[in-house]
Amino acid sequence: MNRRIRRLGLAFAVLYLLLFVQLNRVQFFGAERLQEHSINSRGLIREFGQERGAIVSADGVVIARSVEIGEPVDYRREYPEGELYAHIAGYQSLNVEATGLERIYNDELAGVTVEQQFRSIMDLFSDRDTTATLHLTIRDDVQRAARDALGDRRGSVVVLDPRTGAVIAMWTWPSFDPNLLADPDGSVANAAYEAYLDDSSDPLLAKAYRELFFPGSTFKLVTAAAGVESGTIGAFAPEFPVSDAYDPIPAGAPIQNFAGSSCGGDLVEILRVSCNTAFAEMGAEWVGPEQMVETAELFGFNQTPPIDLPNAATSRFPTEYGVRLADVDFYSGADDVILANGAVDIYEDSARLAQTSIGQNDVAATPLQMAMIAAAIANDGQIMVPHVVHELTASDGTSYGTTEAQMWRQAIRPSSADVLRAAMVEVAVNGTARNMVVDGLLVGGKTGTAQLGTDPPNSHAWVVGFAGTGDGVLELAIAVIVEAQEGASEQTGGAVAAPIARAVIEAYFDEENG
Amino acid sequence: MTALDRPRRERVAPIYAALRPRRVEAGILAMVAIVVVVAYVLASLGRTSSIPVDFGPFLAWMLALGVVAHVAVRRLAPGADPVILPMALLLNGLGYVMIARLAEHVPGGSDLAGLQATWTAVGMAGFIVTLALIRPVRMLMDYRYLLGAAGLGLLLLPFVPGVGREIRGARIWASLGPINLQPGEFAKIALAGFFAAYLVDARDLLRNRVEIRDLVPIGIAWVGSLGVMVFQRDLGSSLLFFTVFIVLLWVASERTMALVLGLGLFMVGAVISWSQFTHVQQRVDIWLDPWADARGTGFQIVEASFALADGGLTGTGLGQGEPDRIPIVETDFIFAAIGEELGLAGTTAVLMAFLVLIGSGLRIALRATRPFDKLFAVGLTTLLGVQAFIIMGGVLRVVPLTGITLPFVSYGGSSLIANYVLLALLLRLSHDQRVARDEAGA
Repeated sequence: MNRRIRRLGLAFAVLYLLLFVQLNRVQFFGAERLQEHSINSRGLIREFGQERGAIVSADGVVIARSVEIGEPVDYRREYPEGELYAHIAGYQSLNVEATGLERIYNDELAGVTVEQQFRSIMDLFSDRDTTATLHLTIRDDVQRAARDALGDRRGSVVVLDPRTGAVIAMWTWPSFDPNLLADPDGSVANAAYEAYLDDSSDPLLAKAYRELFFPGSTFKLVTAAAGVESGTIGAFAPEFPVSDAYDPIPAGAPIQNFAGSSCGGDLVEILRVSCNTAFAEMGAEWVGPEQMVETAELFGFNQTPPIDLPNAATSRFPTEYGVRLADVDFYSGADDVILANGAVDIYEDSARLAQTSIGQNDVAATPLQMAMIAAAIANDGQIMVPHVVHELTASDGTSYGTTEAQMWRQAIRPSSADVLRAAMVEVAVNGTARNMVVDGLLVGGKTGTAQLGTDPPNSHAWVVGFAGTGDGVLELAIAVIVEAQEGASEQTGGAVAAPIARAVIEAYFDEENG
Repeated sequence: MTALDRPRRERVAPIYAALRPRRVEAGILAMVAIVVVVAYVLASLGRTSSIPVDFGPFLAWMLALGVVAHVAVRRLAPGADPVILPMALLLNGLGYVMIARLAEHVPGGSDLAGLQATWTAVGMAGFIVTLALIRPVRMLMDYRYLLGAAGLGLLLLPFVPGVGREIRGARIWASLGPINLQPGEFAKIALAGFFAAYLVDARDLLRNRVEIRDLVPIGIAWVGSLGVMVFQRDLGSSLLFFTVFIVLLWVASERTMALVLGLGLFMVGAVISWSQFTHVQQRVDIWLDPWADARGTGFQIVEASFALADGGLTGTGLGQGEPDRIPIVETDFIFAAIGEELGLAGTTAVLMAFLVLIGSGLRIALRATRPFDKLFAVGLTTLLGVQAFIIMGGVLRVVPLTGITLPFVSYGGSSLIANYVLLALLLRLSHDQRVARDEAGA
């Protein structure tokens, strides 16, 4: 019998070897495939159901927090302010990829960064809550003021601290309720997500920093800055001829002023009245494509802003204007055709440059980009790295670190910024941006009306600007856009957007003084 | 004991020599105790982030269990194999840690840990009583027909009105007052004893020539196994009974024909049951492709494979995984829970522990001199090894899944008690064998 018993032992060895081989297949060689299997929700639920740190505004308002519910997951994410911070905090959802700060700071909120884990090892037997709380730069009162001032009109408001790059407010309407997307019941979240996707106004998109708009006349600030930087344009010289149309050279459709009016004069004057004809000439004949592109890119166009939020859009300024006509044989000798009024040569597509110089043609910018232009002018030409997170703290209140104010780029020289700052104050005091002035404050601005069509009349209303208490310190830079809405009559930045900026500026300084 | 009075070949004192296995056993037990206690602490830290409040009582219970079992073996079967008891206690301890850790997270599981601790104590009592009463094991030969009748009776108990219960579609339960038992767990041991005794009698006949008359027992076993499956819907036990019988027949008769016949009958039975019963078809379909209905019928096995995958090489750490996502994780799928939280290292350790138990059991069978001892040891070892293989293989999708406990590890009173009795019988056989060897060597 012993021979059979030994064979039985061999059979058992083979059977258990089979188990061991299969264990290796499941737990080692095939583990990754299984973990990433489409119906494997373990990783998702594990992360979704965990406690996460809170997200808190600069003035202590809770924007996101974890609430213990036990079933079907340990914790669910709650956004007490609903749509107010949806585009900043984003959401953590069982169904769709997280967005906003919930995505960018996922590891910190979940408490799984190396530093957090290291700290938790240090105090193994005490408190094991490693999650971090995000303290934002957003001020709840300013954010609310932006929402209330914009009301039910589609648009965005971006408020920056020019000195640090801190985002004080960033609001886009339409917005959405992140609580629905964070619902632990996947079917509820899914239904809400589908409904938002179907909404043509795209409420899920944080347009303040992710959507491009024609900047219209607000872009004249960049053209003016390029002129001043190039040395050919000063505050009071040259004077541009008073005209109701600019005929581009070498050829192209004439550019007209708003409502067919005539205007001209020095830089301060043409900025005050937002003179299309003068700025078109300035860009095409005084600044030229190289300087225009260089200054626009120094302001942040064609660059992705380094904001601590996901998927920021890249603002756009066209860089191709063809060849210099002086280099083309066909035109040589025909001096009357290629002679510019200003200091630069004419290019093949200088007519296009005339358009882009007044923010038309293919120029496109995010509201954040336009706020950064105002911030640069307010801050001696420096654009600070924009950020919404001020500090990360551990559960015991100790800091994991604060965001240091950091320069992103020097857009223009401080002396150029001085010239533009003074001109923008003139625009606010005596020009198109009068409606954003707040008594007792130093305010500068620039309006814009980006026409999208005339039948029916249809345009984006813009205003960008800055404000300070008047002792030379400018604490706030702002950009407001009220989007064109179908069927709405033509709206101008000065009439529509500027009052919104004023309300937000008031809210900012009210709180600061009170 | 005569064995202790006899002179030895070894130069050491007789009593010392006889107790040497026990000293080895004590050493291994100490290591097992440390492993299990550390595991329990880790599991508790993972869930509650502090030292468990019932740490003291658990430690005491665990150590007391080991000491009591060890002392019992030392007194009642001092010559027995030293690794069997520690391996069983290791499996039992690991299983207990998993059950205690799962208790809060499975439906109606809050009492599981306490119950499993109680069952383990009862199992230990059964272990000691068996060691004390059954000596030598061959005395069971005198009760062979009683064993056979008892085995059959226990199998049929779930059908007795007022006693039998059907739980989760399987009619394998019997109620004694508030306690639900699976009499089949005990029946398998009684039947293994009966098979062994019967085959010792029939051995000479079987080895010479096979007449139709000699095929009657195998026919009965086959029909009985099918009956268990048809009426109790207990595929695992059915397979287990039949396998044990065929293995014993093969070892006893020393004829390959037994295996061929057994395999043939198994195939016929498998085809018949597959074609006749939808629940068998379903099990096979899930086995072949659990992904076809991963959210429905395949859910359990798919979740188990996700759990095992999450475990990886070293596991998520005790108390850090989420094995409670697998339905019935505390019994049938506890192996997947171990795989998730202890990783490939943990599952391999469990495999090794069972292999050591099987190896020890078969060594006892090899060294035994009496045919009945040999066959019974083979039967008991096969019961343990095949049952563990069926459920681990089911969880791993090596074989179709059949609901059955993982011996010593799964939650379940009947299984624990029966397996401790099985263990006591193996130890008794081991001791008997050593005594016989010592006598022979004298």
